[in-house]
Amino acid sequence: MTASAHVPLGTESAGVGEPNIVVTVVVNGTRVTETIPTRLSVTDFLRHRLGLTGTHVGCEQGVCGMCTVVLDGEAVKSCLMYAAQLDGHEVETVESLGDGDALSPLQQAFKSEHGLQCGFCTPAFLMTATALARGGEPLTREEIREELAGVLCRCTGYEFIVNAVERHLGARPGAADD
Amino acid sequence: MPGRVQRMTDLDERAVTRPAMRIIGTDVPRKEDDRLLRGAGQFVDDVNRAHVVEMAVGRCPYPHARIRSIDVQAARELDGVYDILTGADIAERSEPIGILRPVPGAPVITHYALAQDTATYEGQPVVSVAARTRHIAEDAVELIAIDYEPLPHISDVDAALAPGATVIQPDALEDNLLVCNPQGRGDVEARLAEADVVVEGRFVVNRVTGLPMETRGVLAEWQPGARMLTARVSTQSPQLVRKQLAECLRLDEGHVRVVASDVGGGFGLKLGAYPEDVLAGLHAMTLRRPVKYVEDRLEHFRATTHARESVHVYRIGARADGRIVGMTDAYVNDLGGLNSPFGSSQLSTVVFNGPYKVEDGFVERRIAVTNKTPIGAYRGYGQPEVNFAYERLMDTLARRLDLDPVELRAMNMVQPEDFPWVNPVGAIYDSGDYEACLRMAADAVDYQARRAAGRGPAPDGRYRGVGFSSYVERTGYASSKFLAARGSLFGAHESVTIRANRSGGIDLYSGVSSIGQGSETVFAQMLSEVVGISYDAITLHHGDTGNSPLNTGAFASRTVIAAAGALLEAGDRFLAKTLRIAARKLEVDPAQLELVGTVVRMRADHGVSVSLAEVFTGAILGQGMPDGESPGLDETAYFEPPEAAYSFGTAAATVSVDAETGEFTIEKLVMVHDCGTPLNPKLVEGQVRGGLTQGLGQALGEELRYDPESGQLVNGTMLDYFVPTAADLPPIELGHTEVASPVTTFGVRGAGEVGCIPVAAAVANAICDALAEFGVELDRLPITPELVWRALEAGRAG
Repeated sequence: MTASAHVPLGTESAGVGEPNIVVTVVVNGTRVTETIPTRLSVTDFLRHRLGLTGTHVGCEQGVCGMCTVVLDGEAVKSCLMYAAQLDGHEVETVESLGDGDALSPLQQAFKSEHGLQCGFCTPAFLMTATALARGGEPLTREEIREELAGVLCRCTGYEFIVNAVERHLGARPGAADD
Repeated sequence: MPGRVQRMTDLDERAVTRPAMRIIGTDVPRKEDDRLLRGAGQFVDDVNRAHVVEMAVGRCPYPHARIRSIDVQAARELDGVYDILTGADIAERSEPIGILRPVPGAPVITHYALAQDTATYEGQPVVSVAARTRHIAEDAVELIAIDYEPLPHISDVDAALAPGATVIQPDALEDNLLVCNPQGRGDVEARLAEADVVVEGRFVVNRVTGLPMETRGVLAEWQPGARMLTARVSTQSPQLVRKQLAECLRLDEGHVRVVASDVGGGFGLKLGAYPEDVLAGLHAMTLRRPVKYVEDRLEHFRATTHARESVHVYRIGARADGRIVGMTDAYVNDLGGLNSPFGSSQLSTVVFNGPYKVEDGFVERRIAVTNKTPIGAYRGYGQPEVNFAYERLMDTLARRLDLDPVELRAMNMVQPEDFPWVNPVGAIYDSGDYEACLRMAADAVDYQARRAAGRGPAPDGRYRGVGFSSYVERTGYASSKFLAARGSLFGAHESVTIRANRSGGIDLYSGVSSIGQGSETVFAQMLSEVVGISYDAITLHHGDTGNSPLNTGAFASRTVIAAAGALLEAGDRFLAKTLRIAARKLEVDPAQLELVGTVVRMRADHGVSVSLAEVFTGAILGQGMPDGESPGLDETAYFEPPEAAYSFGTAAATVSVDAETGEFTIEKLVMVHDCGTPLNPKLVEGQVRGGLTQGLGQALGEELRYDPESGQLVNGTMLDYFVPTAADLPPIELGHTEVASPVTTFGVRGAGEVGCIPVAAAVANAICDALAEFGVELDRLPITPELVWRALEAGRAG
């Protein structure tokens, strides 16, 4: 059994004589400073400290990719990192997408292409695609499939997810037309 | 109709005449998407409560062990530990978890939430701890000293049924055979004796798991005084879990509310109560604090039901011209260490003959107890398993008779003029054009051209083959009478409540939880179709036993089949009352009115209208009502389909194979299916593609392996169990036909499970076709290059 190292909202200490550490990190554009137990994972920090529950937990083993967030512009699996490692860095989660009631173009592409069913993996694909779009490299469909292979989905069969990402990347300003 | 897209808001401007369908059959945007795309879904672990306590479970590390003693003293003394439960506590304070879907003739084997004196599978819950945090709870589990006496274990059905085998459930059984169910029609042995050829095969189907990306979870809250337990559970069937929790926790059903907000995939695994649901409830009742448990992935591989494992011994007898005269299947399902609420699959029997017309047939199902994780439902529930057997054997038969496998299938298929047709075990096939799907699939892989080109070796040294698999799937249940005769503790119906609100919209309440299938969207489409109200004006409230009428749940490809009738009935009554109230306001006859979008208006003069907000507000206040009309605008309807509907189709795969190494590539996978009237074609395609991908996983990579020596699950982690990624899939092409079912509302058939059924046989047949000159016959799953290589070696050895 692996630990889902999380503390109830509002409590300061998780464990028995467990050392705490102070981290300062920019999350979705906002600087936050928190005192946290050293063994708290980034996923649990986001979910249970900051209430950003859009980042999900699937295996706590770095395989399924449900916990994917963007760290300093790169898509990473947040279950494999300790929150203590975030000090001085910048994290973006699915909650950063969209603008008020409006979906972002990427989210809209997923909606138009039926790129989600149960929605549990969706934030991870969205953040993977966010990092891809930022990279700016033109990608073939096969390359998109490879890039998305770090996140698992059991509902969709991936085709419509690939369609959505391809559509979004193709629609980027300056992207190749193919 | 496919490809036609309408915006719901355009409806206000369009003339409407029923029964021409306006919204059904279009790809409306999903109701579910906007919250899920923001990460704002409410999966169990996304919801928290003040003062929540967390639970961890200690599990038996052995496949079979007697529990000599449990010492919790050290764990109790750990700071932050609030409550510990052992088997003795459970026996005193709760009732066993029962079976919702018994197998006919089988003794009912129930189990407590925690193992009593003996544990029968690795991962069975033995103790549970509620503590301030999950960390502390898990630390406490480690501190509990349990003295186990390992017992002889059994890890396959052959050993389970061998004479003298250790009896795993000695209180209920004399051996490890749970039940034997023979079923059939005619004198099949006489037919086989007369046949020109009889082919036989033994097919081994792998143990797999549906692996939803969200593991199971429960958040239980107990309100003392009110004696009210509210449990948020990741489940496909909140109403069934409610009944089970009430029974297990000795509560009136009225004192249990189960809520399933968003469920991160179900696939059959999240049916019925699990031990952890009961344990969280007991801890919450003791502590009077909310208790949360979220299964981790290592637990999931051991504690959530597995599926499919079975051995089918199949025979087909035919005349020299290919006409089938008899089919038999004797199969054994592995039950695992105990009987989960849904237990062993039953549909291998129901559709054992697939789409083939045969008068004489016989099936025998045996279910064996082993020391492995309990088996439960998984997408297709027996139908993928038996399809692999009969479709593999059809190709063997074709080769034996030197007939084309497509023509052999076509000549034996039930034809449109045969319907309704009753198969040898009593399944009533409702309608269809099975051969049309087969021919379309053949065309989609350029079958004739491929045959003309030969199998190889091609200039690249590889052999090429094409394989088919045709299937029939029972979707929905053949009425509650059918289920009652089998002891089922759920019905065949679905239900809805639709209620006007003062904004001029309709609140739609359904007990069906949202597991990704899109039922919120499709229910709103159907209601919009029936009533005429704008799709956007319908708000779904789903999966909460506290506000929905009693229903059955999201499984067996049945929710739409049953809910369509309920929506039609409730919607018709709702519309009639709305028109009567509006008629009073407009001082006209109801027959002159129509409901379109957000207004009721005169058919002949659209300028004479009244808004739904005004009509509904009047109804809710009881003001301005026609004489004798009761206040309120609220309809509930239940519907049970009279018969099951049978989906059907054909998959085709093309492969290239290296005849030296066994390495192979699926070049293309085609699926032509029929789910009757597609309510939302895009969602149907999503369902079929998802099912195909799970089918490919089962066919090519997934297998839960147990070490025969230790009885341990050896690959129960996400790193060791290979499900397909986006980069693993072959090109997949879909086609469909639309034969409306005569037994369902709107002519629908289930679409959620079909994709899983034919994939493995199509791929296996393609490889065997490519390697026909080497005599390769594949008879087990998953199909790996090693398996193909071994089959090549066996074939070459003659």
